[in-house]
Amino acid sequence: MNPQGLNEELQRHGLSRRDFLNFCTSMAAVLGLPTTAASAIAAAIEDPARPILVWLEFQDCCGNTESLLRASHPTVADLILDTISLNYHETIMAAAGSQAEAVLKKTVQENQGKYIALVEGSIPTGADGAFCTIGGRAALDIAREVCGGAAATIAVGTCAAFGGLPAAAPNPTGALSVGDAVPGVKNLINLSACPANAENITALVVYYLTMKSLPPLDRYRRPLFAYGSFIHDNCERRGHFDAGQYVEAWGDEAHRHGYCLYKMGCKGPATSQNCPTVKWNEGTNWPVGCGHPCLGCAEPNFWDTMTPFYGRLPNIAGFNVGEWVDPVGLGVAGVAAVAATVHGVAEVARRGGHKSSSNENKKAEPKS
Amino acid sequence: MAISVTGHVPLERVYVWQLPVRLAHWALFFSILTLAATGFYIGHPFIDVPGPARDHFVMGTARVIHLYAAIVFTVSLFVRFYWFLVGNRYARLGELIPVTGKRLRNLFKTMMFYSFLRHDPDDYVGHNALAGATYMVIYMVYLLMIGTGLALYTVYASVHSPFQFFGVLTPLFGGLPVARALHHIGMWVILVFVVGHVYFVLLSSIVEQNGTLGSIFSGYKFMPEDEADKP
Repeated sequence: MNPQGLNEELQRHGLSRRDFLNFCTSMAAVLGLPTTAASAIAAAIEDPARPILVWLEFQDCCGNTESLLRASHPTVADLILDTISLNYHETIMAAAGSQAEAVLKKTVQENQGKYIALVEGSIPTGADGAFCTIGGRAALDIAREVCGGAAATIAVGTCAAFGGLPAAAPNPTGALSVGDAVPGVKNLINLSACPANAENITALVVYYLTMKSLPPLDRYRRPLFAYGSFIHDNCERRGHFDAGQYVEAWGDEAHRHGYCLYKMGCKGPATSQNCPTVKWNEGTNWPVGCGHPCLGCAEPNFWDTMTPFYGRLPNIAGFNVGEWVDPVGLGVAGVAAVAATVHGVAEVARRGGHKSSSNENKKAEPKS
Repeated sequence: MAISVTGHVPLERVYVWQLPVRLAHWALFFSILTLAATGFYIGHPFIDVPGPARDHFVMGTARVIHLYAAIVFTVSLFVRFYWFLVGNRYARLGELIPVTGKRLRNLFKTMMFYSFLRHDPDDYVGHNALAGATYMVIYMVYLLMIGTGLALYTVYASVHSPFQFFGVLTPLFGGLPVARALHHIGMWVILVFVVGHVYFVLLSSIVEQNGTLGSIFSGYKFMPEDEADKP
C-alpha cells in the first residue's frame, strides 16, 4: 500500500495524519529511540515493500490476541497490524475454514523468506499432535512450515516463548515453545509475558519494519528494550523494599500505604519486563501499582518456578519450600544438637571407668 | 621436639594447620555467621520500620553487609582451595577425598568409633577421613551458595557490571526463585554442619587429647611420637 493508500485507510477509520504520527512517536518511546526516529518509523510503515505478517494461534487462551486488540492506540495499531499488514489471523480474520487456510498457504508460498510469523500459544507434540489441529493439520506441522519459511518468527506470549501454562508440570500434551518445537527457526524473538504487552508487540513489529533487523536480545531471546531490566529495578515501591517496609497481610496498614509486596510473594526481583514504565491498559496502571505482587509471568517455567504466587519461595518437586524450609532446618539443627549431646554423654559413660585418654591407653601397652 | 605432658606418653608437637588454613577457617567462620544472620533477615524481614521510607535503609544495609561478607567468604574459600595444591600434607586434597586404602580404612574405623562399635579412634594427624570427606561435601555446598548467590546478585548488579556474566547460571538452577530456595536450604545445611563440626572437634579434643580444639588457633597438634611421623 502506498502512502496515499495509508492516508485513505486512516481517514476511513476516522484518524488524522497527526494520530498516526503520535502513534509513531509513542512507538519510538517504547523502543527507547529518540523522538526523531518517529519519522523513520512513519516512513517504514508507509513503505509499500514492508513485510507481511501472519499470526498463528495454537494451544493457548487467546490472551495475546485480546491484549493486541486492546493496544493503547488500538485503532492505529489495529490498522497497522490487521488491515494493512496482517494477512492471516485465524481468530480475528473475516474469512473462515478452507478460505482462511488458502490465504495462509498463498501468503507463505508467495512470500517465502520475506514474511514475519507471529506465533501465539504452545505447540503440543503428544498424541502425534492431535491435541491441537487446524484444518486437520497438527500445530507442529503448521509451525514447521510457516516459521520455517519466515524471515523472522516472533513468539508472542509466554506459551509460545517458553511453553507457558500448557507446558507446566506434568505437561500432559507434551507442549513445547516455538523455539523448542521448531529447532533452528530463523531470527526467533521471544516476547514473553502472560499476555505479552500490546505496546511491546506493536513496538517490536515497528522496530523490525523500521530497522529491517532484530533488536538486541537477552539470553532468552527477548528484546532488551522491553526485558532489559528487572521489574524490581523500576518499581515504584522499591524505596519501601530498601527501607525494610513490607505488606504483611492484604489490606493491612502497610498495604494501604503502598509498601513493598516482597513478603506477599512478589516475583519482581526475579522477573524482567518493562511493566513499571510502560504499564498496561493505555498506561493506566500495572499489577504492583494497584497492590498485587508480580507473578513473574515473563520468565521461563513461571508456572512451575514462580508458584505459589503469594509465597516468596517456590515449590520444588511438589514441596512448598517457603513453608517447610525454616521449621525443618531448625528441627534438623536441634536434633543434631541433641544427638551430639546424647552421643557425648554416651562416650563419656563408656570411658567413665578409666579416665585415661586413648593416646595413653594405646601407647601404654608397648611403652610399659 | 618430644615433650612429656602427662609423664606417660612422649608427645610430639606437630605443625598441622598452616597460617593460611587457619586464617581461611576463621574468615569462613565469621563470614558464615554474618551471612546467615543477614540472610535470615533478607529471607524474613522481621524488623518493623516505621515512618517515611526515605529515612530508612534497613533491607539495603542488610544486603550490603551480606554482599561484603559474601566477598570475604568467597575469597577465603578460594584461598583454602589454593592451599589444596600448595599447602602441607594435612591441607592437601588427598586429606579430603579418601581414595587410598589407608584413608578408606580410617573412614571406616572413624564411623565404627562414632557408632560405639570401636573403643578408640584410629590414628591420624590432620583430618580424619570422615571429617575430610564431610568438608569436601560442605565445600560443594559452599560452591552452590556462591553460584546461587551470584545468580541472585545479577538482579542488583549494574547492567555494566562484569557480575552480569553470572546470569548464565540462572537457567542451570531452573530460574531465580529456585536459586533463591536453594540458597535458603543451603544456609540450613551449613548451620547443621556447624553443629556437628563443633561437637566432633570437642569429642576429638577430649577423647584423643591431642589439642584439636587449640590447633585451629595455634596450628599445632600434640601427637604421640610414633603416630606423628606417619604420612
